[in-house]
Amino acid sequence: MNLFEFEGKALLRKHGISLPESALICSEDAAAPMPLPFVLKAQVMTGGRGKAGGVRVCADDGEYRKNLGEILNMTIKGFTVHGLLAEEMMKPEHEYYLSITQQGVKRPTLIFSRMGGMDIESVAAEHPEEIVRIEIDPFTRLKDYQISCLAAKMDVERAEARSFLLKLQEAYFEEHAVLTEINPLGVIDGKLTALDCKFVIDDHAGAAASVRDAIEANRGKLHKYITPEKETTTVTYVPLKGDVAMISDGAGTGMLTLDLLTDLGAEVACFTELGGMTSEEVMYRAMQLTLDGHSEIKGLLIVLIGGFNRMDNMARGIIRYLSEHEVNIPIYTRMCGTMEEEGLRLMAEAGLKTYYDLTDAATQLVQLVKEM
Amino acid sequence: MAILINKDSKVIVLGITGKSGALQTKAMLDAGTDIVAGVTPGKGGQEVYGVPVYNFVSEAAAEHEFDTAICFVPPFAAKDSCYEAIDAGVGLVVLTTEEMELNDSVEIIEYAHAHGATLVGPGCAGVLAPEECKVGAHPIRFFKKGHVGVVSKSGALSYEIGKTLSDAGIGQSTIVAIGGGPLWGFTQADAVKLFDADPETKVIVLLGEIGGSSEEDAAAWIKANCTKPVVSLIVGRNAPAGKSLGHAGAIVSGNVGTAKTKLEALKSAGVHVVYSPRELAAKVAELL
Repeated sequence: MNLFEFEGKALLRKHGISLPESALICSEDAAAPMPLPFVLKAQVMTGGRGKAGGVRVCADDGEYRKNLGEILNMTIKGFTVHGLLAEEMMKPEHEYYLSITQQGVKRPTLIFSRMGGMDIESVAAEHPEEIVRIEIDPFTRLKDYQISCLAAKMDVERAEARSFLLKLQEAYFEEHAVLTEINPLGVIDGKLTALDCKFVIDDHAGAAASVRDAIEANRGKLHKYITPEKETTTVTYVPLKGDVAMISDGAGTGMLTLDLLTDLGAEVACFTELGGMTSEEVMYRAMQLTLDGHSEIKGLLIVLIGGFNRMDNMARGIIRYLSEHEVNIPIYTRMCGTMEEEGLRLMAEAGLKTYYDLTDAATQLVQLVKEM
Repeated sequence: MAILINKDSKVIVLGITGKSGALQTKAMLDAGTDIVAGVTPGKGGQEVYGVPVYNFVSEAAAEHEFDTAICFVPPFAAKDSCYEAIDAGVGLVVLTTEEMELNDSVEIIEYAHAHGATLVGPGCAGVLAPEECKVGAHPIRFFKKGHVGVVSKSGALSYEIGKTLSDAGIGQSTIVAIGGGPLWGFTQADAVKLFDADPETKVIVLLGEIGGSSEEDAAAWIKANCTKPVVSLIVGRNAPAGKSLGHAGAIVSGNVGTAKTKLEALKSAGVHVVYSPRELAAKVAELL
C-alpha cells in the first residue's frame, strides 16, 4: 500500500522521528490551519510534484487562498491531488537522501546520499560515487560499524545520526514497510529532520492489516478520493488495447500466451490470470473482468493446465458465465490436467470448443478473428 | 540421479492436514514419493492417507528419518514452520506458500543459507524427478523420465514445457519451479549449476520471465562456467511496462527487467534463445 506524504509522516512521528509542524487540508474553503507563512504541498501518489507546481510558499492569506484553489484542482502526471499539507518553512543547512527498501533487492537495503532533494535514480546515474548502499541483516539489524560509517558522512554528531537511523529502522520493520524514503532529509541546527516522506506498507503483512485498514478509512475525508474497490479474489486483470482477450490459470503461461498471440499478429485485449485461487467462482470472476462491457473483444482464448486447480471447476465457471450472459464471440479453451476428463465432458456438453495443444488453439483463434 | 531429490528422498509434509496439504500429499504418494510423516500443530495422532501426523517436527524426528520437507502452511505461520524443519536438520525445504510478507521471506531465506539448508521458494510449485520422486505440485501426467533439466519461475509454465517436451518424446531429469518472486531462496543460476554437475542431465532448459535480474545472473554463471547446452524461453516479451503480470516479480521498471536485456545477456552467454514452446522442443531435440 502506497501512502500519501501526510500518512507516512504520521508513521514516522509515531517512531519519534523529527518532522516540521504540519496540518492537512482537504477542502477549498478551509481556513489557514497554522500561522503564515508556510508551504503548501500537494498530496498526490506520484513524484515530481515540485516541478509541476504542486509545492508553493504562501506568505499571506491572499496567496494561501489562491494557491489552495489552484493546487487542489491540479492533476499531476495524471494523478488527482487529494489534499494539501501545510507545513512550517524550514531552512536546512544540508539536504540528504535516506531510505530503507526491499524493492528490487535481495535483503533490506539502506541507501544514503549527500545529494538530497533530487531524485535518487538521477544521482545513481550521474554520481554513482555519491551513493552509499548498506545491506541490513534481518537478524542483527544495523550494526554499530555501519552506523559509524554513515554518521561519518553526515554533518551531525554521531549520537544524533545513530538515534535517527535506529528510529527509521524501527519504523521500517515495525510498520512492515517495503520502502521508507526520506528525501530530502534536512540538517537543521545539528538535528536531522524528515522534510518529505514516501512510505510503502507490505500488502501481505498480516500484522499490518489493521494499520492499512485505518489509513484507508481515514482517506474518506480527502478531496475527490474514491475508495478503491477491493478485489476479493486473486485474479490479476490488466487491460490492454487489442481485440483478442485471454485468461490463464498461471502467470507464466499467461505471459507465454500473450507472446504467442502477439507473435501470431493479434492485438491482445487484456491479461487475465487466476492467481492462487482456482474455484468455479474465481473462473467466473475472471470471465466477468475480461468480458463485461467489452464489446470490442472479437475472440477469447482460455488457457488452462491443471496442477492445483481442477478442470471440472474451471468448466463450470466458464459455462455458468456463458449461460447467464449473451456472448457471441468465439471462445477457445485449452484444457488439460487435473480432472480433465470431467472438464472436457462438461465443455463438450455445453458446445464449447476445446484443445489439447496451446499453439493450435492460439493459431486457430487468431486466424478466425483475422477473417472477421 | 536427479537434482535436489531422488527415489531415496525421505519427505515430511508441513501443514499436512490443510486442504491443499492433504490433496498434494495424496498426489505425491501416488507419484511414489516416500512421505514418512506430516506435521500440523494440534493434529498429532491423526493420519492423512496413511501418513502419521505429529504436532512438532521434533516429535516426527524421534520416530522417523527424513531429509526433505515441503511446506503448505498459511503465510502467517510458514516462516516458523520452515525454521522448525531447518532446526531439525532438514537439508531441503520446498516452500509452496504464496503471498508471504517480504520481510518474512528475507528472514527464512537468510536463515536457510546460514544453516546450510536449500530453500526452494517461497510461492513455488516445487521439484519433480519424473518416475522417481515428487516434492511439489507438478501433475505427473505431463512429464516423463529423461535427460533434460528444466528450471522455471512459474509452475504452470514448467508444466506447459514439460508437456510439450513429453509430447515430442523428450524426457526430463528434474523439473524445478522456483516461484514468481520477487525473492528466491533457490535461483535459476543455482539450478543451472546443479544441472551442469548432474550426469543424468544433457541439456538444460531455462524458463524465465520479465522483471528482476535473476535471468541475467544465470547468464553470467553460464557464460563463465557452464559445460552443457542451455536453451532458454523468456515470457512476457509483449508485456506493458510498470504492470505486474500475476507474479510479484514480473514487473518491468525503467530499464531493469526487460525481456530485451535478458535475451541479450543469455545470447551473449551462448544460450540458445527460443521464442515458443514448439521451437524449444525442436532445439532441445537437436541438442540431445
